[in-house]
Amino acid sequence: MATFLEVRDVKKSYRMGKFLVPALRGVSFDVETGEFLSIFGPSGSGKSTLLHLMGGLDRPDEGEIIVDGSNILKLNDDKLAELRLIKIGFVFQFFNLLPRLTALRNVELPLTIAGVPEKESLKRAEKMLRLVGLEDRMNHRPSELSGGEQQRVAIARALISNPKIVLGDEPTGNLDTKTGWEIVQLMKKLNEEKKQTFVVVTHDPHIAEAANRIVHLKDGLIAGIEEAPKGR
Amino acid sequence: MKFSKILSIAWESLTQRKLRTSLTTLGVVIGITAIISLASLGEGFRLEIKERMQQGFELDVLIVIPGSFAAALREPFTSPEVNNIRNVTGVKLVAPLITLPQADLYNETNEKVNALTVAAVNFSEITQMLSERFVPMEGKIPGPEENDTIVLGYKTCFWNETTPLVRVGDNITMQIEGYSINKTLRVAAILGKSGTSGITNFDYWAFIPADTATQLMRREVYNIILVKVSDPEQSEHVANAIEDVFENPYSISILVPIAFMRQVDRILNLVQIFLVAIASISLLVAGIGIMNIMTVSVMERTREIGILKAIGAKSRTVLAMFLTEAVLVGIVGGLIGIITGYGLSYALAYVLSSFIQPQQQDTVFQAPETQRMTLNPVFSPEWTIIAFVFAIIVCIIFGLYPARKAAKLDPVEALRYE
Ligand SMILES: Nc1ncnc2c1ncn2[C@@H]1O[C@H](COP(=O)(O)OP(=O)(O)O)[C@@H](O)[C@H]1O
Ligand SMILES: [Mg+2]
Repeated sequence: MATFLEVRDVKKSYRMGKFLVPALRGVSFDVETGEFLSIFGPSGSGKSTLLHLMGGLDRPDEGEIIVDGSNILKLNDDKLAELRLIKIGFVFQFFNLLPRLTALRNVELPLTIAGVPEKESLKRAEKMLRLVGLEDRMNHRPSELSGGEQQRVAIARALISNPKIVLGDEPTGNLDTKTGWEIVQLMKKLNEEKKQTFVVVTHDPHIAEAANRIVHLKDGLIAGIEEAPKGR
Repeated sequence: MKFSKILSIAWESLTQRKLRTSLTTLGVVIGITAIISLASLGEGFRLEIKERMQQGFELDVLIVIPGSFAAALREPFTSPEVNNIRNVTGVKLVAPLITLPQADLYNETNEKVNALTVAAVNFSEITQMLSERFVPMEGKIPGPEENDTIVLGYKTCFWNETTPLVRVGDNITMQIEGYSINKTLRVAAILGKSGTSGITNFDYWAFIPADTATQLMRREVYNIILVKVSDPEQSEHVANAIEDVFENPYSISILVPIAFMRQVDRILNLVQIFLVAIASISLLVAGIGIMNIMTVSVMERTREIGILKAIGAKSRTVLAMFLTEAVLVGIVGGLIGIITGYGLSYALAYVLSSFIQPQQQDTVFQAPETQRMTLNPVFSPEWTIIAFVFAIIVCIIFGLYPARKAAKLDPVEALRYE
């Protein structure tokens, strides 16, 4: 399998007043094309920080992150934005939908930003919402949707521009166990059907089990990488 | 992102915060209203003054008088001097006047006929010179051979507005103190109301033929020379050339109405600009309001901005979105302001006009009917466009700071923002 994303000895710390708080203290691993990778660790272990770096939302202090052949340290802000727009889809714990827009408009947003004509973008957004099972919720605003439904909208938005990789930061963290499981199954299904790479951060062992591989993170360091527990 | 999309997003965002948007826009509306109404009333005032002045002065007639501030009073003009002026290039017509000091007029019943000035003129010259003013209401202007005649200004004859002191054909006795002159003249014509207040308001004058005067006074000198120029715009050049005719150019004075008018116009123009500048301050205040409200708005929408950037919006897209909101406020506020500005101008003109009407006074210098000031707003497309563009520029300038703030937000930080 080809490597899609490389994380090379990445370090990142945050400044808290006078102190530097290390969030990542030298992390290296690869993400293979088409795999479903889980990053597992307790709260505060640096999972979100790592995911943000992998998605080009932020830059590492040290080390390198290479996404689909391009080193994100060498990209300027505009190029990074383009990378996020075209190659990467984000799914967040708190859904992060725009409250004033309907589900359909939220899903359409990345295409709107990319300048895709409205006729086409609406069609694709509708198709995407159908794929995540929300064909009868298209014109609802986020506040009119349940948590699970909102996360489906977020997934549809992450997938709309057909990104090569989808990054999820505790996508089930705000959902009950059953809904969380359904969301994971949905992502798993998309991963298998569309051959898109998924990296999902979680501290829920049940979710981690769905993955091909689990990267265990602890105190900003990799504690171990676990290969497909149940095989696949 | 397509501009049409940015526009519609900005528009939606504004219409979803109606109260806030209307209050921000109101600032712009007030600023533009103030600018438009002050500019249009200023322009109206300027044109009114200009028109008044054009009625008061014949713009193509220079008035040459002996003496000046720079030199002691000199002797009146001689015939050769008048002829020299006739030969100056750019001079179309010359009409010298003799003013008769202390001339008193009496009608047949020995009532005094009040004339502020009795002037001796060549009637054919003066009618050519002031063809619109020197028009008889009754009788006719005497021909070249008709000596011992007199032409009365309207007020000279109708002193109390109703009954004339004399009629055409009556005799008038003219006495000049110090010259022991007692001359009987026939009333040939009565001039119509002049309707102006300027130098060519002849309502209180009386005119006799130049020949009669020179015979009586036994000398031929002139106190005022009226010079008509072919091109009013060249007035100053002609005036200079006339000065050069005299040995001592500083011994005479030339009144150049158009130069005076240009000067007054320049001053009024400055006043108008000053008024508009004051009004513009209110637009700047509106700009600060926009900055204030947009800054709050950016803070409120931090998370939203973070989401947009996380899913791939560039900084300049975010900048464009916020700037577009500011520009839309400017455009809408500007358009409404133009309409209310036009409305307010008419309202103010109406109110102000009633204040500036002259009081009815029973004096010699009572303003004629047509002297009533009317203040009408004059809307120039230039001022309207300037005001509109200014509104948009102010919005851009004051919107730039919050918009840049939004564009520079770090997506990770923005997403953590609660
Ligand atoms: N923006 C920030 N400023 C300061 N400290 C931060 C910031 N983001 C994360 N941290 C700190 O970095 C560490 C890792 O955080 P994070 O990556 O969010 O962990 P996780 O997602 O695994 O809970 C934590 O100690 C957290 O407090
Ligand atoms: Mg986290």
